[in-house]
Amino acid sequence: MNIFKKEMKANVTSLIIWCCAQVFIIYAGMMKYQGFIDSHVDMSKLLAGFPKEIMVIFGVGSSLDLTKVAGFYSVFFLYFMLLAAVHAVMFGAVAVSREERDHCADFLYAKPIRRFQVIMPKLIAGVINILIFNMVTFGASVFFISLHNNGDGMFNQVSLTMLALFILQLFFLALGAMFGAVLKNTKLATSVSGAFILGFFLISVAVDLYDKLTFLKIFTPFKYFEGSTLMLDNQLSFTSAVILLIVSVIFFALTFFAFNRRDLKT
Amino acid sequence: MNVIEINQLTKYYGKHRGIENVTFSVEEGEIFGFIGPNGAGKSTTIRALLSLIHPTSGSATIFGKDCIKYGSELRRDIGYLPSEVFYYEHMKVLEVLKYSASFYDNVNYTRIQTLADVMDLDLNKRIDDLSYGNKKKVGIVQGLLHEPKLIILDEPTGGLDPLMQQKFFDLIRTENKKGATVLFSSHILSEVQKLCGRVAIIKDGTIVKIENIRDMQKHNYKKFTLEYSGVIDVHHFNLDGITNLTLDKNTLHFLFKGDINRIVERLQGQALLNMLVEEPSLEEIFMHYYQKED
Repeated sequence: MNIFKKEMKANVTSLIIWCCAQVFIIYAGMMKYQGFIDSHVDMSKLLAGFPKEIMVIFGVGSSLDLTKVAGFYSVFFLYFMLLAAVHAVMFGAVAVSREERDHCADFLYAKPIRRFQVIMPKLIAGVINILIFNMVTFGASVFFISLHNNGDGMFNQVSLTMLALFILQLFFLALGAMFGAVLKNTKLATSVSGAFILGFFLISVAVDLYDKLTFLKIFTPFKYFEGSTLMLDNQLSFTSAVILLIVSVIFFALTFFAFNRRDLKT
Repeated sequence: MNVIEINQLTKYYGKHRGIENVTFSVEEGEIFGFIGPNGAGKSTTIRALLSLIHPTSGSATIFGKDCIKYGSELRRDIGYLPSEVFYYEHMKVLEVLKYSASFYDNVNYTRIQTLADVMDLDLNKRIDDLSYGNKKKVGIVQGLLHEPKLIILDEPTGGLDPLMQQKFFDLIRTENKKGATVLFSSHILSEVQKLCGRVAIIKDGTIVKIENIRDMQKHNYKKFTLEYSGVIDVHHFNLDGITNLTLDKNTLHFLFKGDINRIVERLQGQALLNMLVEEPSLEEIFMHYYQKED
C-alpha cells in the first residue's frame, strides 16, 4: 500500500497536466467543428484538394463525412491514441526504474519485500493513472460533443471508443514497463519506448498510404482499432482487443520476470 | 553460530570482475570489519548479501538461510546503510523515515525521534537540502530504527565530523551490546581498528586475509626505526618476517613479525644513533595489502 501511495503521489502533477492537455484538445477540436459547420464550405471538395499523404498523417485518410459530429470526432481517435500511448509508455518505463534513476534502489530493495511486491503496486498505480486519463477524456468528449450535437453526447459510441483506447493504454503501459525492467536505465527505456511509438505511427501511416503494405497492419497497435468503425459503426474489433490484451499480459509477465533477475544499480 | 556465511561467492558484471571466490563468515554478536581499497569488491559482496545483485556463482547464507531464496524474509532483521546515500529528494526526512518504517512490522516510532536526537538530525528538512553528512545520518537512522539483528554498514562514516563519528560508534556499540551482529565495511583502517574484533581484507575482488585485529596488532608486529651514524647495509636485515622496509638517508624503517631476539642479534656491533620500537598502526600493517601488484 505504501509503495502504491508513493507512486500515485509521484505522478499526481503529471496526471493533472496530461488531463488538462487532453481536455483542451477536445475543447479546441470541437470548437473547430463549429467553425467548420458555420462556414458552410463544402468540406469534401476542399479536402479532396489536399494530397493523400497529408490527409493520412492527420488521420482523415478514409472517406469520412466530417460535417457530421461523429465523423469529425472519430478523427480525434488518432490523437488520443498517440497522446495516451506516450503517457502510458512513459509511466510504465519510469515507474519500474524510478528508484534506480534516483539512486535510491538500495534504500527500497533492502527492505523486507520481494521485487514483485514493488512492481505490482507500481503497475496498479499505472492502471489507475491511465484509467483516470481515460475517464477524463471520456467526460470531456461527451460534454463537448453534446454542446455541438443538440445535447446528444453520443454516450454509447464514445464509451466504445474509450474502451478501445483503454486497451491500447494497457498495451503501452505494459510495453513501457517491460523496457523499464529490461533496459539499462530510465533514459534508455523512455527513448526506446518513444522510438517504438514513432515506429508504430509510421507503420500505420504507411499502411494507409500504400495498399501493398496492408499486411503490416498487425505490427502496429494504432491499426488495431479505427476511429470511424468505433464512432460510426459502433463496433469494436473483438479479435484486436483479445490480441492486444494477450500481448499486454505477456509484456507484464516479462516485466516481472526480467525485474526479478535484474542486478540493481546503486 | 555464524550469522553470515559466504562461500566461494563470485560476481562478474559481464566480463568485468566484481568479486571472486569470496569466503568468510561472521559470528553472532561480533563486529566484523570488512576492509579494502575503493573498487576492491566490498559493496559488491554486501549488495549480493542483500540480494540487490545476483551472484554469478557461490552462495551466501544469513541466519543459516540462503540470502537470495529467503531474501525478503531475511531483510526483516537486517539494517543496511548503503555507501552512497540517496533518498527520494522531494521528501522530508521524517517522511522518508516513516516510509522506511512502514516496511517493517512492530516498529517503535518513538525510536525515530530518539535516534535523530542522538545523531543531531533535523527531521523537518527536505532531503535535497541536506549535506552529504546529514544524508548519512538519515541513512544511519533508517538502518537502525527497526532494531535489526544484523547491521550492515557500507562505508558509514564518510561526511561525518569526528564528534558525530564518535556518537555513531557509540550507537553501534550499544546495538552490538544489545545483541546485534555488525558487518562494517570501510577503507579507513583506524575506524575499523576502533570498533571491530575481526577483519577480512579484500583486494582486487578476493579476500587476502582474515585476522583478529588485536592479536595481530599486539602480539605480532613491531615497528622499528633505526638511525645510523654511517652507511647502512640493507642486506643485513634480509630476514623472514620483515616487511615494509624503507631507507631514508640514515634512517631505516621496517615492520617485523616474529621473535624479537633475532633483530637484537643483528643489531650487535652496529653504530646506532637512535632506535625506536613501536606498535604499528593497522594502516602500516596493511599497507602491503593495499599496494597493487604490478
